[in-house]
Amino acid sequence: MSIEIRNISKTFGKFKALDDVSLTVDAGRLTALLGPSGSGKTTLLRIMAGLEQADRGSGQIFFHEEDVVDTHVRHRRVGFVFQHYALFRHMTVFENVAFGMRVQKRAARPTKDAIKARVHELLGLVQLDGLSARYPHQLSGGQRQRVALARALAVQPRVLLLDEPFGALDAKVRKELRTWLRRLHDEIGITSVFVTHDQDEALEVADEVVVMSQGKIEQVGTPDDVFHNPKTEFVMRFLGEVNTFHGRVDSGGVQFGALHASYPHTQRKIPGDARVFVRPHDVTIDTKSNGLPSMLAKVERVHSAGAFVRVVLSTETGQTLNAELSQERFTSMKIEIGSEVHIRPRHIRVFTETD
Amino acid sequence: MAGVVSMRHQSGPGRASQGKTEPAPVRWALITIALAFLGLFLVMPLVLVFTYAFNRGLGVYFAALTEPDAMAAIRLTLITAAICVPLNTVFGVCAAWSIAKFEFRGKNLLITLIDMPFAISPIIAGLIFVLLFGARGWFGPWLIDNNIRIIFATPGIVLATMFVTFPFVARELIPLMQAQGTDEEQSALTLGASGWQMFWRVTLPNVKWGLIYGVILCNARAMGEFGAVSVVSGHIRGLTNTMPLHIEVLYNDYQFTASFAVASLLALLALVTLVVKSVVEWKGAREHAQAVREAESEQS
Repeated sequence: MSIEIRNISKTFGKFKALDDVSLTVDAGRLTALLGPSGSGKTTLLRIMAGLEQADRGSGQIFFHEEDVVDTHVRHRRVGFVFQHYALFRHMTVFENVAFGMRVQKRAARPTKDAIKARVHELLGLVQLDGLSARYPHQLSGGQRQRVALARALAVQPRVLLLDEPFGALDAKVRKELRTWLRRLHDEIGITSVFVTHDQDEALEVADEVVVMSQGKIEQVGTPDDVFHNPKTEFVMRFLGEVNTFHGRVDSGGVQFGALHASYPHTQRKIPGDARVFVRPHDVTIDTKSNGLPSMLAKVERVHSAGAFVRVVLSTETGQTLNAELSQERFTSMKIEIGSEVHIRPRHIRVFTETD
Repeated sequence: MAGVVSMRHQSGPGRASQGKTEPAPVRWALITIALAFLGLFLVMPLVLVFTYAFNRGLGVYFAALTEPDAMAAIRLTLITAAICVPLNTVFGVCAAWSIAKFEFRGKNLLITLIDMPFAISPIIAGLIFVLLFGARGWFGPWLIDNNIRIIFATPGIVLATMFVTFPFVARELIPLMQAQGTDEEQSALTLGASGWQMFWRVTLPNVKWGLIYGVILCNARAMGEFGAVSVVSGHIRGLTNTMPLHIEVLYNDYQFTASFAVASLLALLALVTLVVKSVVEWKGAREHAQAVREAESEQS
């Protein structure tokens, strides 16, 4: 079921958490709301769920074609998974998952046997069937989150909403669980939206990423799209590390540091200030000049413990740069701390004030 | 690494819990003083109450309890508790709920107000009601015109007792509910529960032990309250005497055995309360520790 948000605003006192946000989430997709804290992503998710009310008269929310903005959370039929699981602590895993079915009106309530069958089916789906008699405090964080997911799915929700679902877990479990969530989503195909501040998580798991900042949506696109073609400076900075140069745009090119690059995106004839962004993995290091335009820099530090070697450099103007290169290349080049090297950005992105 | 690990074991909590921090004589001295003090000021009076109560035999003991004035006092005490405890339980749950789960103006004022009966001397609490409902009080003339008796009657006793016992339930529930937050309630709502279902199936079971503890304390105080009730009751034998007041009256009449017989009932109530309280406390502490542990593990 698709979700459509039209012109939703939300203010807390004087703080504008959401500023006229519109968004369409296609049916069956797994969408990530990505942004730093305070960007409004959780507020947007809670408004979709009905746990928070949008500002009076500010807009509409459609589930498929039905306007649900005035539908109480109880009747909205969303599956909501909380960051801190929010399992009912005095109920067993079985009772937790069965809760949503047991509170239904007598006429709509499944029979005892049907509830039992459904609970075991769901626990099987989240690979916890042996633990149905346990209490939440007897489970690990990852297991609790999977129970929360099974509980949310038990009421056959129209959409599944997850608030920082892996935020409270340690790094390793988090990685396992997000691949697992992706597989589960492919299996059941329910329209899902999850909130995260972790760009790796969003880029790895989601079909579509919605990047948010200060109550507004910065960009919507596939992970590839937002990572490789960031529309705004914010998206560029937020999705991975960047080196920033101050430069000037002139007709058909951009000048930064000692380099001049062609920059066909701009139509402007008047020279103007610009910021040039280079990702660390797009910086090429050479020990000798090979004739191509390059910058001179000194090697300050080297971190070689990892899949890639990170080299911290300082340019002639004193600016600090980060570069990332493969272990093979690093060993073949014999880079030493304090040595002078030539650096060359392979890809740049330029943002001017008017972009 | 192995060295570091074994060192940790040596200085671990096991050592401190064996209580080897003080020399043995100091420990024994402290324990002896504490026990002697408890024995002198708590156990001995309790034993004395029962000794005096029974020192002229079971017959006199039961005669003192079944005498009409004593029966009336017991009945009035039970009625008062039966009205005050449920009402204060409902009020306490409402107050704790609104304080723990909502943000609103005047929240701190409300918390302070809940504590007020603890801060005010019970005598003052009684006087407040005399000033309000007494013959020369604010509502006095109107009450007399309409032939309603509050002061020197059961309603006054109930009101004074309610005032004094108001904080017990709320005080127990507020920290517990605050530690638990609202996520579970919201979860219940997203799963289709009504507000009522959410309260009965999620909120109430989560605070069960704290609530029982609060109710027990509230009940013990409701039955044992003396000061506030003494002011509003008027000490009319067989009519407005509660058990504590009846005990005093008997004592002042030099009927020591009868007085201690009724007192033994209150003492028995206190003992039962203590036993139930420790069981509930033990269960509740586990639950609270768990809530705190979960809250902490979530923050890390």
